[in-house]
Amino acid sequence: MLREALVNLRRNILVVTGAVLAVFISLGLAFSALAVNELVRINTIAWQQGVHLIVWLNDAGRDGVPADAHENLLNEVLTWEEVANAYYVDKTAAYEEFLDLFGDNPEMVEALQNPSALPTSIRIELADIELYQQVEFRLQQYPQLIQRISSAAQEIEQISAVSRVLNLLGIGLSIVLGVSAMILIANTIRLAIYARRDEVSIMKLVGASNWFIRVPFLLEGLIEGLVGAALAVFAVWVAGRNLAGAAEGIQLVNLQVPNAFFLRWGVVFLLFGAAAGVLGSLLGLSRYLREADGGGRPAGVRRALEPV
Amino acid sequence: MIRLEDVTKVYEGGTVAVRDVSLDIPKGEFVFLVGPSGSGKSTLIRLMLREEAVTRGTIYVAGKDITALPAWKVPYLRRSIGTVFQDFKLLPNKTVFENVAFALEVLGRPRSVIGPQVEQVLELVGLADKAERYPRQLSGGEQQRVSIARAFVNRPPIMLCDEPTGNLDPATSVGIMKLLDRINRTGTTIVMATHDHAIVDAMQRRVVQLSNGVVIRDEVAGRYETVGEQ
Repeated sequence: MLREALVNLRRNILVVTGAVLAVFISLGLAFSALAVNELVRINTIAWQQGVHLIVWLNDAGRDGVPADAHENLLNEVLTWEEVANAYYVDKTAAYEEFLDLFGDNPEMVEALQNPSALPTSIRIELADIELYQQVEFRLQQYPQLIQRISSAAQEIEQISAVSRVLNLLGIGLSIVLGVSAMILIANTIRLAIYARRDEVSIMKLVGASNWFIRVPFLLEGLIEGLVGAALAVFAVWVAGRNLAGAAEGIQLVNLQVPNAFFLRWGVVFLLFGAAAGVLGSLLGLSRYLREADGGGRPAGVRRALEPV
Repeated sequence: MIRLEDVTKVYEGGTVAVRDVSLDIPKGEFVFLVGPSGSGKSTLIRLMLREEAVTRGTIYVAGKDITALPAWKVPYLRRSIGTVFQDFKLLPNKTVFENVAFALEVLGRPRSVIGPQVEQVLELVGLADKAERYPRQLSGGEQQRVSIARAFVNRPPIMLCDEPTGNLDPATSVGIMKLLDRINRTGTTIVMATHDHAIVDAMQRRVVQLSNGVVIRDEVAGRYETVGEQ
């Protein structure tokens, strides 16, 4: 049976190539959509983590700010339940951070004549990004201590909303492309059966059972689906590796799709390809085999008989 | 061996191909179905093969009502019937040997059985020396011999032939008829639809004449046309 399927695959190389390409393209697109989705998810999580609020402080011991005010505020903030973590950045650390950011820009470094002019700050990581307004409100109770509050929370929240939409779009696209892959396989197998209809009709004529006729086509669909899916998984994996390699050094976004993702979804896509191939073959075959068995007497035909 | 009881076949669209046909064909008989194109000869053969379902009536093959046969059992019916057609229906990418062996392969026969059985039947049809040729390398008569070999290799009790000499010249046709006659002498029941006056007249076998789907004559040792009819 397998030998026959392989011989048939070789004989109908053009149709088979079409089927494999159809699976490859649609599953490849679906798998890419899923991988991009995964990247968006990873990055959204990364953006949601980290520092959300920076509270720039007035210098302690001046303008009526008590010497221990900074420490007291930090301790206070740490007791708030909206806050996951908070830490203090003193003038030395602030200068180091400044050098980190602008060290390769001598004009900027020169312009900052007095390093102690940099303000100290408290960095706050929120337990939940959506709580940023409450925390800001609480901080506003300390107007003489606080110079300014910077927050990327609103932007991050917007990004999260966009990523949720992208997530849904990605999943939707994957489903649509997956279904279209199955329909393409069904069509291709039907074409393959059509191309070999003489052979099938002779098989039926000499009394081959339906399963005897079906199995080579099913194997053929299975192989086409598997090969197409394997190519798709491999291509997306290679593309993912190249993307991650090209994006090395970019810190803002993470373009590294984890191998665990490829492994888990790769297996799912292979199974889907195989199932789509078998299902497509069955779909393509069912009508053909039924017709050749002379089964059923349509009601319309019986009615036409009445005047006889 | 084959019995038709009031068989009617109406195709979709209302064309009545066969109407109230009753026939009884005993084991070992050679029957010609004659009549002009569209008289219902081919439809009768298709009905006996269960390629079409009857609209009304019953067909018994070897005592079994094949009109009530579930679809999955149809292959078993066809294994007991050899079929020969005007267009040979050979697979062009298989050799003569492979074409004949194909009929046994689909029945799941082991290779050790297939080889000798195919050689034997090729001997019978006189093509033992052309076993490795492809159909396109054979003449029409030879191709029809291959198709007869394929139909007979399984030693079916019945052979249905639809215009087997339709594509062949008279001399070649005689050879094919001699072969079918030999097969008939082994006890195989043969039903043959044909247009060929000369053959029917020469063979002197039972003739069933159809006209517009109705049996108008059923004659033992008959001719293509009754005397006086033209």
